[in-house]
Amino acid sequence: MNALWLELYKLRRKRLALMIALFLAVELAWAYMSLSMSIARNPDNAGWPAALLLVASMNRLFLPILSAVIVSRICDMEHKGQTWKLLMAASVRRSRIYAAKYAAACLLLASAVALQTAGIAAIGLASGFREAVPLMLLIRLAAGTLLTTAAVVALQQWVSLAVKNQAFSLALGMLGSFVGLTAMLFPAPVRLWFIWSYYMDLSPVTYGYASGALSYAHNEFGFQLPLLALAMGAAAYIAGCVHVSRQEI
Amino acid sequence: MLIRCIGAEWLKLRRSRLWLILVSLPAFSMMIGCANFANNLGVLQNEWYSLWTQVSLFYGEFFLPILIAICCAYLCRLEHLNKNWHLLLTAPVPVAYTFIAKLTITAVLLGFVQGMFALLFIGAGVAFGFGYEPPAELAGWIVRGWFAAVAIGAVQLLLSMRMQSFAAPIGIGLCAVFVGFGLYVAKLGLLFPHSLLTLGMGVLDQQALPAAKLGLFYAMTSAYIILVSALAIRRLRTADAAA
Repeated sequence: MNALWLELYKLRRKRLALMIALFLAVELAWAYMSLSMSIARNPDNAGWPAALLLVASMNRLFLPILSAVIVSRICDMEHKGQTWKLLMAASVRRSRIYAAKYAAACLLLASAVALQTAGIAAIGLASGFREAVPLMLLIRLAAGTLLTTAAVVALQQWVSLAVKNQAFSLALGMLGSFVGLTAMLFPAPVRLWFIWSYYMDLSPVTYGYASGALSYAHNEFGFQLPLLALAMGAAAYIAGCVHVSRQEI
Repeated sequence: MLIRCIGAEWLKLRRSRLWLILVSLPAFSMMIGCANFANNLGVLQNEWYSLWTQVSLFYGEFFLPILIAICCAYLCRLEHLNKNWHLLLTAPVPVAYTFIAKLTITAVLLGFVQGMFALLFIGAGVAFGFGYEPPAELAGWIVRGWFAAVAIGAVQLLLSMRMQSFAAPIGIGLCAVFVGFGLYVAKLGLLFPHSLLTLGMGVLDQQALPAAKLGLFYAMTSAYIILVSALAIRRLRTADAAA
C-alpha cells in the first residue's frame, strides 16, 4: 500500500485529473451531440441502449490513448528524472514497484470509467429517456470497459518502462485506437487477438438486425471473452514485469 | 544560419527510429482501408474515389493529427531533457530560427508521411485493377493535407515547447480532433486547423473545393502557421526557460 500511495503522491501537480476531465468532457459532449442528432433523425433511437453503445464505440478511440497518456506520465517521470537507480536502491522489490505503478494507472482509469458511467446516466436523463436508469447495464458496461482497459494498461506499461522514448508507447496507443475503431471490420477469429476490440465486444449492448432494420440487442458474450481479456492482460503484465525487472538500469 | 539550424535539428533525429512511427500509420490505414474496400466491392463501385474514402477516413480524420502531435513532441523531447533548453537558448542563434527550424523539420517529416500515403494509395489502386492513372484530385488532396498538417504541427510544436510532458500535448491534440470534427459538421471547417485537414484531404467529401473556398483554405492555413509561429517565437523570447 505504501508503494501505491507513493506512486499517487508522485503524481501531484502532474495535472492528470485535468487531462482525464478534458478527455471525458470531450467524449461525453460528443456522445450527447451525436445522440441528439440521432434522436432528431429517428425518435426510436431515444433509449438507453443507443447511449450505451455510442459511448462504448467512442471508448475504442479515447481510452487506448488516455491509457497511453496516463501510463506514459507515470513511467516517464522516472526516465526523465533519472530516478531509477534511486528507486532500485530502496528496499522494495522491483515487482512491487511495477505493481504499484500498474495499480496507480488502473486506479486513475477506474475513476475515469466511474465518472464516464455517471456521465452516461446524466446524458440519458438530459435526453429525456422514458425508462429508468438501467443500473445493471451501466455496471456491465463499466466492468467490460475496466477489464479491457486493465489489459491495455498492462501492455502500455510494459512498453513505457522498457523503452525510454515515450514516442513508441504513445504510437502503440494510437495504433491500438486505430485497431479498436476498425476491429469490427475484422473476421471474428482475428478480432479476438486484439485487446482493443474488446471495448465493443464486452459491451452489454450491440447492434442487431430486426426485419431488415438496424436495432439494438443485448450482447450475451458468456465467460469466454472476459476470460480471454483477463488472460491477455495477465500475460502482458507478467511479461512486462519479468522483462523490466531484469533490465539493466 | 537558418540552414545550419535546420541541419542541427535534422542531426538530432539520427538513430531516433522515428521513421518507424511515421511509416506505421499510413501502412496501417492502407491495409485496413484496402481490406474493408475488398470486403465491400458490391457497394463501393467508384473505384479510386471509393478506395480513397476507405483509406483516408480514419487516417485524415483521427490519426494523422495524433501522429503530428507525437512527431512534434518528439522534436522537443531532447530540449526538455538535461536542461537542454538553457543550452539552446544561450546559443548565438536568433531564437526565431530555433522554432522555424523545428517547424521546417516537421514539414519535411509530414511531407514524407503524405508522400508515402500517396504512393501506397496508388499501389493499392493498381493492385485492385483501377489502371495506372490515379484521380487528378489526388495531388490536391495530398498537398492541401500536407499544408493543413503543417498548421496543426505549428500548434502542436507550441504546446510541446510549452509543456515538459511528452504525453500531455498528444492528449490535447486528440481533444482538438473532435473540436475540429464538430466545427466541420457545423459547416465552420475553415476556422480550425484540424477541420482544415478534413476539408483539404477530401476525407468526407471528395468534391473539388470551389475557387473561393480554396483561396480561403490556403489563407487560413497560412494565417495559422504565421500567427502560431509568431506566438511561439514571442514566448521563446520573453518567457523564462524551465528545463
